[in-house]
Amino acid sequence: MASVDLGKMFSRGNSFFNNAIIRSVFYQALTFVIVAGGIWYLVSNTITNMSQRGMSAGFDFLDVSAGFGIGFTLVPYTESDSYLRVFQVGIANTLLVAIIGIILATVIGVFLGLARLSGNWLISNLARWYIEILRNTPLLLQVIAWYFGVFTILPRPRDSVGWANAFFLNNRGFYFPRAIPQDGFGLVLVAVVLASIGAIIWVLHARRMRNGRGLILPVALPALAIISVVPTFAFLLLGQPLHWETPVLQGFNFIGGSSVPPSFCALIIALSIYTSCFIGEIVRSGIQSVSHGQTEAAKALGVKPSRTMSSIILPQALRVIIPPLISQYLNVTKNSSLAIAIGFPDLVSVWMNTSLNQSGRAIPIVAMTMAFYCLVSLSVSIVMNQYNRRVLLKER
Amino acid sequence: MTDARTSAIFRDGTPLEPFIAKPSRLPPPRSLGPFAWARQNLFASVPHMLLTLLGGWLIFTVLGTLVEWALINAVWDAPNRRACMDQVGRTGACWPGVIAWAPNLIYGLYPKDQVWRINWAFLLLIIWAAPLWMPKVQSKIGIGLAIVLLFPFLASYFFIGGGRNAVWTLLVAIGATGLIWSVLTATSETLKGTPFLKLVARSLGARTAEAEVARGRVALAGIFVVGLLAILPLEFREVPTRLWGGLFLTLVISGFGIAFSLPAGILLALARRSKMPLISVMATTFIELFRSVPLITILFMFNTMLPLFLPAGVEVNQLLRAIVAVCLFTSAYMAEVVRGGLQGIPRGQYEAAASMGLGFWQSTALVIMPQALKIMIPSIVGNFIGLFKDTTLVSIIGLLDLLSMSRAVGEDTRWLGLFLEPFFFISMIYFIFCFAMSQYSLSLENRLGTGQRR
Repeated sequence: MASVDLGKMFSRGNSFFNNAIIRSVFYQALTFVIVAGGIWYLVSNTITNMSQRGMSAGFDFLDVSAGFGIGFTLVPYTESDSYLRVFQVGIANTLLVAIIGIILATVIGVFLGLARLSGNWLISNLARWYIEILRNTPLLLQVIAWYFGVFTILPRPRDSVGWANAFFLNNRGFYFPRAIPQDGFGLVLVAVVLASIGAIIWVLHARRMRNGRGLILPVALPALAIISVVPTFAFLLLGQPLHWETPVLQGFNFIGGSSVPPSFCALIIALSIYTSCFIGEIVRSGIQSVSHGQTEAAKALGVKPSRTMSSIILPQALRVIIPPLISQYLNVTKNSSLAIAIGFPDLVSVWMNTSLNQSGRAIPIVAMTMAFYCLVSLSVSIVMNQYNRRVLLKER
Repeated sequence: MTDARTSAIFRDGTPLEPFIAKPSRLPPPRSLGPFAWARQNLFASVPHMLLTLLGGWLIFTVLGTLVEWALINAVWDAPNRRACMDQVGRTGACWPGVIAWAPNLIYGLYPKDQVWRINWAFLLLIIWAAPLWMPKVQSKIGIGLAIVLLFPFLASYFFIGGGRNAVWTLLVAIGATGLIWSVLTATSETLKGTPFLKLVARSLGARTAEAEVARGRVALAGIFVVGLLAILPLEFREVPTRLWGGLFLTLVISGFGIAFSLPAGILLALARRSKMPLISVMATTFIELFRSVPLITILFMFNTMLPLFLPAGVEVNQLLRAIVAVCLFTSAYMAEVVRGGLQGIPRGQYEAAASMGLGFWQSTALVIMPQALKIMIPSIVGNFIGLFKDTTLVSIIGLLDLLSMSRAVGEDTRWLGLFLEPFFFISMIYFIFCFAMSQYSLSLENRLGTGQRR
């Protein structure tokens, strides 16, 4: 038994069908044929159906006047504008909801995460149950409950809830002052840009000093001071070139100022509260993922507690926190589509619902909507992967 | 020897300090008992004290308002909302509306005299699934698979009813066979410690393992005949799916989603990780496409475009469109969860499986998946919870799920404007389901020891 050929003993013969490459090509070809056949079947059905119903799949309708009004638009829009404009209005509204929702959710979420980690039993349990209750009920239910349960039963404009005579909340929406830039406001913006550049230079300088000479300079305070003082100074020097137009009650409604409809308020509040629960848990688990040994090691080296947090715990926690946080941000963007349930004109509502029903161009409209959402999440995930590669644990 | 200590001196002449006992130190603060606990966890410092007071005030106000509204000031008996408003106005809840609508909230518009079919189907599911929690039952995987694969046939017939052709009858009979087999197996394994089919095979005179399998098949055929005979006389009235609604519909959609998405997600994840480029690219495209768009757009797409995709004359009812959309959407998410779990399995496991001579499917099913699934439990359950909550979106395309039924309460002329109470009621239902799922997953995690074991 000296010369047993192991290969021959275990292989089932070098037959044609056992060749790994041939099998792989065969399986791929089989899958491709099945999938392509399925798609061809669907497409041919669609073409027949569309020709029977006299529908067309072209994009020529984009220039046609849409002819319907939209309740809340961020970009200028009138009824006679084209369908393409409607698409832009929808995108602008969706992005507005997403951005405000993300900012609010992050702020509330970080507070919730810190509250969960608090040594105070009452506070951490309060945060825990707040999170459990809100994240275990559907978002759509929360959106609708905020809308019908709170914002539509607010008082009429005449008895609206006012604050500082400039902010008003009533059943027509939320009214707030509008900033109208005057001559010379551009210079203030220039000052803001210059101050930001200055702050960045300072931060880089401090980092060079730290790495080169071991000199620890204050970073956050001077940078904040540069950013806040310089533009304020420019603003005052130029004679406050900004006019605030406050909303004023006239007759049955407010005029002047800016406003957002109740559906916007309900959507933003529900979205940010719901998402903040997930962000709170992400922040908590991120900070807890940094082992206690790190804190102890820092203490042993005599590092100040504030510096332990900012230079040792947070950088390591952020590595765990950022990826799920970004996916929550994407969720906010996608969940803003629930606007349709309460009539806020976001992309899905004005484009995939109203425009689709009016023009009947199902295929181009669905394709454009999906392309927008795909583009958003694709670009975010590209940035995400770059970041991930940068902060990945460098082992061995 | 009057005072030896005071007179003691060192050899070099310096006198020894006299020993005077210091006053004893205070005992350390108590670290046990409710007061000590409160001091450590609630009043450790002044800021903590303020936070505790703030938290206490918050709890008191919120809970107080809630209890006052939902219980103390609530109206429990009134013919309509106006009567409620006359009694307490907006300061108390008006529960009679919710109570009057409770059957609709749970069963939708399902005919009242047929509701027992739904109850029976869920009772059968409970009977079928109960062995999964019995310690002595060994065939849990088989029973679980039988539930996922076969219960939908049985349940569909209970829910839809109507005439059956031969294929439909056969499928329902197979469902019944699965149920009977599961119950018998669980019973025999609990009482005798042997699977039922093996027991029957032995009593039929099987001596060898091959004979046991062969006679076992005969026994299974026997069970099928029993199942078929049990099914044949059943004749249910047809209930069209547009009458389905309420919690029942929510459970149907999420049940289909759960049963479909886990296997589909596993296949998609395997395809995405496959070394065959074409398969991997196709799986990746599907997963990324479905994950990057909101569920509502997929529901809309299937609602408006499915009739276009299919040959003229083929009607797909709206419930089926929604179920297909939800299933595809969830399986894309599930695929990413499974992929994450697979990435957590060290390379050595694959190599060890291969060196044992296991092929791809064997090593995946016997070595990799059991470990990966264990790691994935929290994320899988999290996905199920997400799916359960996402079923509310079908209300936007016009299905009468729990959420749309609760909105219908406030549109009923007798209960016009009654929104908060039904919302409160159904949010409790959603919370109980989701919270129970997450707690069960936690306990499962602890029992299997997969949690924070670093």
